[in-house]
Amino acid sequence: MVNFEYFEATSLEGLPQLLGNNRNENVVMAGGTDLLDLLKERILQPKRVINIKKIQELHGIQNGRGLDIGALTILSDIAKHPAIRKSYTVLAQAAGSIANAQLRNMGTIGGNLCQRPRCWYFRGREYVCLKKDGSKCYAAEGINKYHAIFGGSPCFIVHPSDSAPALMALGATLEIYGPNGRRAMPLKDFFQLPEDNLMFENRLAANEIITRIRIPEPEPGTRSLYIKFKEKDSMDFAISSVAAVLQIQGNRVRKADIVLGGVAPIPWRAKAAEAELQGKELSDAVIEKAAAAAVSDAEPLDHNAYKVMLTRNLVKDALLRLRSA
Amino acid sequence: MSKSNSSNKISRRSFLKGMGSGILSTATLTTGGLISKEAAARILGPEGETISGRTVITLKVNGKARRVAVEPRTTLLSALRDRLDITGPKEGCDRGHCGACTVLMDGKAVLACMTLAVDARGKDITTVEGLSQDDSLSPLQKAFVEKDGLMCGFCTPGLVVAATALLKENPNPSLDDIKEGLAGNLCRCGTYPKVFEAVQTAAKIMRKGG
Amino acid sequence: MTGWKSLQDMVVLSKPLPRLEAPDKVAGRAKYTQDMHPKGMLYGGLLVSPHPAARVLNIDASKVRRLPGVKAVLTDVHPTGTVRYAGEEIAAVAATSPEILEDALELFEVEYEVLPFVADIESAMQENAPRVFANRSNIRDARVRSEGDVDAGFANADAMVESEFRTQVQTHSTLETHGSMVYWDGDELVIYDSTQAVHGVREGIAKFLDMPVNKVRVICKHMGAGFGSKLQPGRYTAIAARLAKEADAPVKLMVTRKQDFLGYGNRPNSISKVKLAATKDGKLTAFYAKTYGTAGIGTNAGIRLPFIYDIPNWKHEHYDVFTNAGPARAFRAPGCPQASFVMEQLMDELAEKLNMDPLEFRLKNDSNPTRQKEWRLGAEKFGWKRRNSIPGADSGRYKRGMGLAASIWWPGGRGTKATMTIYPDGTLDIKCGTQDIGTGTRTYMAMVAAEELGIPMKRIRPMLGDSNFPKSGASGGSTTTPSVGPAIKNTAERAKSRLMELASRLWGVPVAELVWNGGGVQMKNNASKKLDWQELCQLLGTDPLEVHGEWVEGLSSRGVAGCQFAEVTVDTWTGRIQVNKILAVADCGLILNRLTTESQVNGAILQGISYALLEERHMDPSTGTMVNANYGDYKILGAKETPEIEVIFYDEPERGVIGIGEPPTIPTNAAIANAVYNATGVRMRELPMTPDRVLTALASRELAGKED
Ligand SMILES: Cc1cc2nc3c(=O)[nH]c(=O)nc-3n(C[C@H](O)[C@H](O)[C@H](O)COP(=O)(O)OP(=O)(O)OC[C@H]3O[C@@H](n4cnc5c(N)ncnc54)[C@H](O)[C@@H]3O)c2cc1C
Ligand code: FES
Ligand code: FES
Repeated sequence: MVNFEYFEATSLEGLPQLLGNNRNENVVMAGGTDLLDLLKERILQPKRVINIKKIQELHGIQNGRGLDIGALTILSDIAKHPAIRKSYTVLAQAAGSIANAQLRNMGTIGGNLCQRPRCWYFRGREYVCLKKDGSKCYAAEGINKYHAIFGGSPCFIVHPSDSAPALMALGATLEIYGPNGRRAMPLKDFFQLPEDNLMFENRLAANEIITRIRIPEPEPGTRSLYIKFKEKDSMDFAISSVAAVLQIQGNRVRKADIVLGGVAPIPWRAKAAEAELQGKELSDAVIEKAAAAAVSDAEPLDHNAYKVMLTRNLVKDALLRLRSA
Repeated sequence: MSKSNSSNKISRRSFLKGMGSGILSTATLTTGGLISKEAAARILGPEGETISGRTVITLKVNGKARRVAVEPRTTLLSALRDRLDITGPKEGCDRGHCGACTVLMDGKAVLACMTLAVDARGKDITTVEGLSQDDSLSPLQKAFVEKDGLMCGFCTPGLVVAATALLKENPNPSLDDIKEGLAGNLCRCGTYPKVFEAVQTAAKIMRKGG
Repeated sequence: MTGWKSLQDMVVLSKPLPRLEAPDKVAGRAKYTQDMHPKGMLYGGLLVSPHPAARVLNIDASKVRRLPGVKAVLTDVHPTGTVRYAGEEIAAVAATSPEILEDALELFEVEYEVLPFVADIESAMQENAPRVFANRSNIRDARVRSEGDVDAGFANADAMVESEFRTQVQTHSTLETHGSMVYWDGDELVIYDSTQAVHGVREGIAKFLDMPVNKVRVICKHMGAGFGSKLQPGRYTAIAARLAKEADAPVKLMVTRKQDFLGYGNRPNSISKVKLAATKDGKLTAFYAKTYGTAGIGTNAGIRLPFIYDIPNWKHEHYDVFTNAGPARAFRAPGCPQASFVMEQLMDELAEKLNMDPLEFRLKNDSNPTRQKEWRLGAEKFGWKRRNSIPGADSGRYKRGMGLAASIWWPGGRGTKATMTIYPDGTLDIKCGTQDIGTGTRTYMAMVAAEELGIPMKRIRPMLGDSNFPKSGASGGSTTTPSVGPAIKNTAERAKSRLMELASRLWGVPVAELVWNGGGVQMKNNASKKLDWQELCQLLGTDPLEVHGEWVEGLSSRGVAGCQFAEVTVDTWTGRIQVNKILAVADCGLILNRLTTESQVNGAILQGISYALLEERHMDPSTGTMVNANYGDYKILGAKETPEIEVIFYDEPERGVIGIGEPPTIPTNAAIANAVYNATGVRMRELPMTPDRVLTALASRELAGKED
């Protein structure tokens, strides 16, 4: 880590001004579980690290008509929260699948959404890749068994967040605090592909922070789940994951939200699968079709074609389980 | 306003060095309520506290307040090991992957290698050394000894702390709960089967009030 | 010398006893090299090459030297200036804090002439590939071994199988990295080292620094495991010593986790092209293997084929291949897990072709008498009969299967010396220059002495891990227990004789009329005339009794046989292999401590599972660097991958002590691979059997099935 200055903020006011416009000079630290890794590898060499944990209004879960989660809420609190487990199952499961017990006690939900990719070329100092202003994506022709099968080019990172697909499937909205005060941004608009912006995975401005995350109350008949496939079950990022939220009325799917994790540079909405399910009964045939549709436009690299089969199977598994839920 | 109460704390105003001494009078104005809090923050920067360079901080470790000189970038693990000579927590990876550095912070298991020392101020930190009083081991530590939940023992302090937190939260864990609770602790020697036995044994004893 | 007591007569030995240092370890009191921190100690660190092949043209350390807090800098640590793998030591520095060390390492300016490299075995074997060593081919000359007439063997066979298998590079990844803390005491060098060989390090470092051996002392009380990677003296130790000299202060130099992955040991990979043949009644006739392996810039990437079976005619050609990667080091049963992966799967394939049960086929071709019994015992306990008779017959997503494989090991005990000091107050010290690498050495040292002398363990202080103690070998090759156990027994026997002499002098009777009984001495024909331990020791007056002993023939033996059974569930949707259970029949002669021995077998099996399912070094083709040199991306088995393990000790106390650390890691991967085949009907010919490989293999079978 470079020798930075540490600032412990106790209020939001003035923070945007302090953050300024240079992302590499001032960085926000929540749980620090991702940030410290980047600092230690000197991928980030900021002048100042701003700890936001002391800002009270960023904490806490409120559950009323919908869910309102402070950005600094730690993942273990979300995973264990009874109401979240019951009504926002996909989120509790996603939060519970992250890292390990210790890191879930440290990592925050806001940090989880803003964490940087885990691509080993991005994280390794010796590889000056596209994301580090270099001239090539090492993964494209390198060892890419964990890389993107959707939306990759020109950089084949996958978004590592487990909470993001879940929150996206639940239709979450972010409350963002910036120089002009607060604004709301639907999570679906938050992430951006490398083709739109190579350097950053989301549209948060340098001088903004996420303050709260709001999730609308699920419609009656909604059921949800998160399936995460890890190569090493004890602790791993998702090789592929599925966040599925289905609203079922009568026997039919009224609304389907299926978002995939670990397969694209952003949480990847499986639109074609959603379309296959819309208005249908969850028959075996429909499920097979939806699962196939989920990966129909996959573009695997040399070493990750298995992720296509895997993802199809995970979608199928998710739908089968939701059917019998 | 900034709560400057520790000797070495520098108020937020120190950011604005280079802006001249006019700052102070603005601050005076604010306290007088002449401009809004937000407007003041825009000029003054947010409320809070700055630490830069080598600084002496106080950490509460195993019930004792310990003064320790750190830099902002010093991890809690380094503060404990390199400066306070509290070497129960081990450095296995320094990246959050192995759990060897697990300590309790306000009762919760966390990784000392992924925590800045300055961020641990004001927290109750318990290391493996704090789990036994004098020479008497905790029931869990005893069970680790009796069931041979260790070989080289390098991962053991982390496992013991993680398992302590696990049992506090769940006094009657299933085998799967134990595996989940210890999934972040790497043991290269492969002591897991015995560790599971130790945790189950300790849980039983502790439930009986042992 | 007398032999070991019978199992029934043993009071302490062969019982399950917790290890003596366990309380210190669970309380965080045990100090490892990493924990050493004498006053004024500096933090040492290495700058390593980021390039796999390069010439170091210039190292400019002027900025490093100017950094306040830097106390010593070395820029001449590389012996030749020609770098052959990323991770080679280029420069070193010692500073007053870890932060300054980190900054200092950033300030070196090294000019490299980057050279072409070969990152992996395939590219190294290509014609016109860049050479790792300018004047040597990347492929070394064949090592050929053979027996009988292979051509005739194949000609006379009724069935043959032919295949190719691959195994990966595995790194030791001990939880404590390699490193030392050193200081100079006048012209004497004291080294705390995380090592498997205090004496070996002493000799090596003395030579390296051109010092008399008796001026170097190496200490290792506790160490965070080795698995073979810490058998040799480290260049980092010598570097630390030089830094300490220059700075005139103690220096601790622990290599970083990443450096540990790159430069301090691995198990070579292997590519094996093999053929195996048998007659229709199931007798093996011939085996042929052509194998390749890379030990990086090192050699000895051999694979121990033809493994364990009785094959009258065989030939094995092996080629070591150089690559620009860190040198291999001995890794738990070197060459054997690879061999079991190949041979045990071939055996199953051939059995299937002959329409025989894999177990039955093995019983016909494995003449080892111990294993003959172990196979049957294991099969019985495991319920081998429950296994799918048709591989892959399970319908549905999850498929279960069973497999088996054998283990073997060779070395036994060897020269070890020990000293016992008995104090007049009845306590005693045992000193032996061995080390406890997590294997329970310290504990059985005390157990052996307690058993032999008939006194309580708590009076005994076993001391090890110091090169000032009598010489013992490196803790490797599963030789430690068969070496140290007998040496301690011999020392205790000699102590007993000396104490009996004291009694004989006191009573004025010949020693022959005395017997040792329950920690004391008595007259053979007058049981009431006796001295207990305390009284005997008091006879010493004020002078402790010092006795020397050593390893002797007859208390240990060599040769280990064992076998394992695995049951797995394969999730055909995800390609995950879950090991449900491993049953190990472990043969280890006289077991000194049942508890710690069981732990060792568990550990060996878990490392075997980890090797089978997860671990793999990935080298980036375009840069020749390891992309996953961290514990996150290099995946090692954790709590959730740990299955039920049942260990059956096949006691043969009459054989004396034999080591157990290595053999049980050999068969695990193959037993799992065979179980996967039994579950799915798909043969996994490459390690590790990660989901990508499993899914791909399942899919290609499905495709093949459709074409039929
Ligand atoms: C060993 C290991 C395993 C992991 N496994 C997983 C996993 O399985 N799944 C997974 O999803 N993640 C995983 N993570 C990644 C991640 O660290 C955690 O998930 C965590 O949630 C990040 O939160 P944090 O509060 O620690 O973030 P920090 O490290 O504090 O911040 C991460 C990033 O987000 C920014 N940031 C933080 N909070 C805000 C905010 N409120 N507004 C704007 N920007 C903000 C920071 O500036 C920084 O760039 C793992 C991390 C480690 C070290
Ligand atoms: S040292 Fe902290 S997790 Fe490994
Ligand atoms: S006991 Fe050695 S790493 Fe766990």
